[in-house]
Amino acid sequence: MQHIPSATSVRKPHRRFGIVRVSVYMAFLLIIASWIYLFIGEQANLAELFSAKNVRYAVQFLSGLAGVGVDHPAFLDIESWKRALALTYQTLQMSLMAIGFATLGMLLTVIPASRVVAGGTESALLRAWNRIVYGLVRAMYVISRSVPELIWAMMIIFFFKPGLLPGAIALALHNFGILGKLCAEVVEDLDMRPIRNLASSGASKAQILIYGIIPAVLPRFLTYILYRWEVIIRTTIVVGFVGAGGLGHEFKLSMSWFHYTDVTLYLLCYLMLVFAVDLISAGLRRWMQ
Amino acid sequence: MSSKLLDFHKKNILTVLLSAVFIWSLFSVQWGPDLFHPGGQAALGQMMQGLLQPDWSPAILRLALSAAWTTLAYAVAGMSLAIVIALVFGVLASGVLASTRTARNVQVIGFRGALGFMRAIHELVWAWLFVAAIGLSPFAGIFAIAIPYGGILGRIFADMLQDVPEEPITALRAAGASRLQLLCYGYVPIAMADMLSYLMYRFECAIRSSAIMSFIGLGGLGFQIQLSLQDLRYDQVWTFLLFLIALVVLVDMWSQLLRKRLVA
Amino acid sequence: MSDTAMFAMKQVSKSYGSAYTLHPLNLHISRGELVALIGPSGAGKTTCLNILAGTIEPDAGLLHIAGKPASSYASGKHLAKAVGIIRQQFDLVGSLPVLHNVLAGRLHEWGFGKSLLSFLFPQDKHIAADALNRVGLSDKLYDKTSHLSGGEQQRVALARLLVQQPQAILADEPVASLDPARAEDVLAMLVRLVQEEQLTLVSSLHSVHLARQFFQRIIAIKEGRVFFDLPTADVTEDHITDLYQLTAGHGMDER
Repeated sequence: MQHIPSATSVRKPHRRFGIVRVSVYMAFLLIIASWIYLFIGEQANLAELFSAKNVRYAVQFLSGLAGVGVDHPAFLDIESWKRALALTYQTLQMSLMAIGFATLGMLLTVIPASRVVAGGTESALLRAWNRIVYGLVRAMYVISRSVPELIWAMMIIFFFKPGLLPGAIALALHNFGILGKLCAEVVEDLDMRPIRNLASSGASKAQILIYGIIPAVLPRFLTYILYRWEVIIRTTIVVGFVGAGGLGHEFKLSMSWFHYTDVTLYLLCYLMLVFAVDLISAGLRRWMQ
Repeated sequence: MSSKLLDFHKKNILTVLLSAVFIWSLFSVQWGPDLFHPGGQAALGQMMQGLLQPDWSPAILRLALSAAWTTLAYAVAGMSLAIVIALVFGVLASGVLASTRTARNVQVIGFRGALGFMRAIHELVWAWLFVAAIGLSPFAGIFAIAIPYGGILGRIFADMLQDVPEEPITALRAAGASRLQLLCYGYVPIAMADMLSYLMYRFECAIRSSAIMSFIGLGGLGFQIQLSLQDLRYDQVWTFLLFLIALVVLVDMWSQLLRKRLVA
Repeated sequence: MSDTAMFAMKQVSKSYGSAYTLHPLNLHISRGELVALIGPSGAGKTTCLNILAGTIEPDAGLLHIAGKPASSYASGKHLAKAVGIIRQQFDLVGSLPVLHNVLAGRLHEWGFGKSLLSFLFPQDKHIAADALNRVGLSDKLYDKTSHLSGGEQQRVALARLLVQQPQAILADEPVASLDPARAEDVLAMLVRLVQEEQLTLVSSLHSVHLARQFFQRIIAIKEGRVFFDLPTADVTEDHITDLYQLTAGHGMDER
């Protein structure tokens, strides 16, 4: 009575897992190939990594950060703290500017970037125009988010003089694409029924925007904006490396002059800033719920 | 009544508040023609021209291809280490292995704190600290990606493990599963799909992070972009940029394909 | 303690805050008995089952499981050899193949290494295949569990119990989320398997009809007390009516 099903009848091919399975194999292949390449092509050497010389360097660097043997470590100096806090303040302003610019760019483009066509009474010409604009904006989003902030900063520093503004713009250029993509998805996922309802009850386009669309998308938009702000604050220091001012710029100078206690001070300020922004953002999001 | 009115307007208040701080931040810049380089506009023009006519010569294409592979290899190697870090720290930070309530709290707070520190510092800052400490080595780049990505992945993994529905876990426990067995027959399989799709999203980010490791002197697309910028060869800059964009888009497509399968 | 007792409760009680969920309760269930727990929702059926299962500790009283004090079961692994549990649904890990969900019944026998190895090379596969065959799902061994219907998933949970081989099965509304026809199927299968394996079964049910149809003994619980405890044949319509009658006045007196 109790027959155990034979292997052939049981081992059905499961097509559902096709892509998952191929992805897993591909991932393993990539990982192995990458490590082989890094060990051979790029001469990564684990033994050298932990050589006595490297250990000595590391100890030297860490004790430099800790201010061992330094008469007046910067992180114990009031004047240095004042300067560092001023820079922290500037960095915060840069991050706010950056998220503001990115949001402005996103708001200007998000409607054409979402495949929502209200009404449907447009002429064929208008439809074609809409499609072209959609493609263009989406291409902009892809370019914008694929290029990291640091590279945007390296490029626009040819145009702007060093300062907070180019840093903010570089950060905004990258986050514009990310915010745009996220928010366009929100608009596309919008429940259209209440909006059609408004339209059929004779609301104008502006009224539909204010009563139908904005209340529905605002919470998600705000959440995304706050979340990107958290990411931006971590990156402010990096665009500072190429002349965008703020903590990053001074961090770079101190590194190149081997003023390691200054480095410690700036890192402390940076960490404080990051944790503070994380807390504020999380607090605001919770408050909004 | 007034508190309900406040609830209703919370989003509007937040919008006004954010707009206000944005406007306030604008005052940090002294607006005027002094913001621009004298020859800035010409440079901008050339840059735009470069976008329209990138350098497609075979030599540059070959270079771009090998640079793209280097960038990908660093991203993959960094991510593979990050996954190991994230699994170990994430499982511990979720507290699912802890036997008592106190042990659980200690674990959760301790490891979540460690993860928070790892991801608070940007990967390039990690990279620079590594270079300063151990000198320029590919490992500086790999570790610099692995640590912050391990931090963010670990935190998200911990969240996902904590959000696992209780019923199957209780059932497994009743069937006599130990805590480690609960982990691998319950928690992980249930959270696997979400973990994988988040991992793919982060992999896309890792490609960009890998590209900027050039700043500390490692090879790859970022390095080539930097060289071409120094030579003012904007047409080449755009060739490399387009390769970077293509790489990111490819990974994005892969991850979307996978995500669609996993969610279904 | 006689050896024929599967479960023996002596003055077992449980309260949350000031209100009793379960008043001090004496209960004796012999090996091989088929017992249905019925009663209005919130009456304490689930609490009673959870205490029997050892998942919640009673505030007071003594519980013997298979002749040994409940507290003497050092770990879940030992308890799992005595008592198996099946609940409404959602008990399975949907993302795993059916095979692994069934083999989860072996986890109490396996060490960690063997359970890891089993992901790549399923261990004791014939046991799982055998169990699935007995619940009529032999062709679903490698299917993703979440793709199965509700009734099929409950049968997978049964197969897991077969693999676990406990001495008694506690079922908490095992068919509550199934449609009537399927509920009867699954319950019939549960009872048949319990009888074939000569196990003890205690199941809470909200359907009196099903309780009468499949069980030898019916224990009714109301407001944390045993309302009646009778062989099925002796349960009359009056009993049932009384059991489910709203007792608002009585409830208020108590507060």
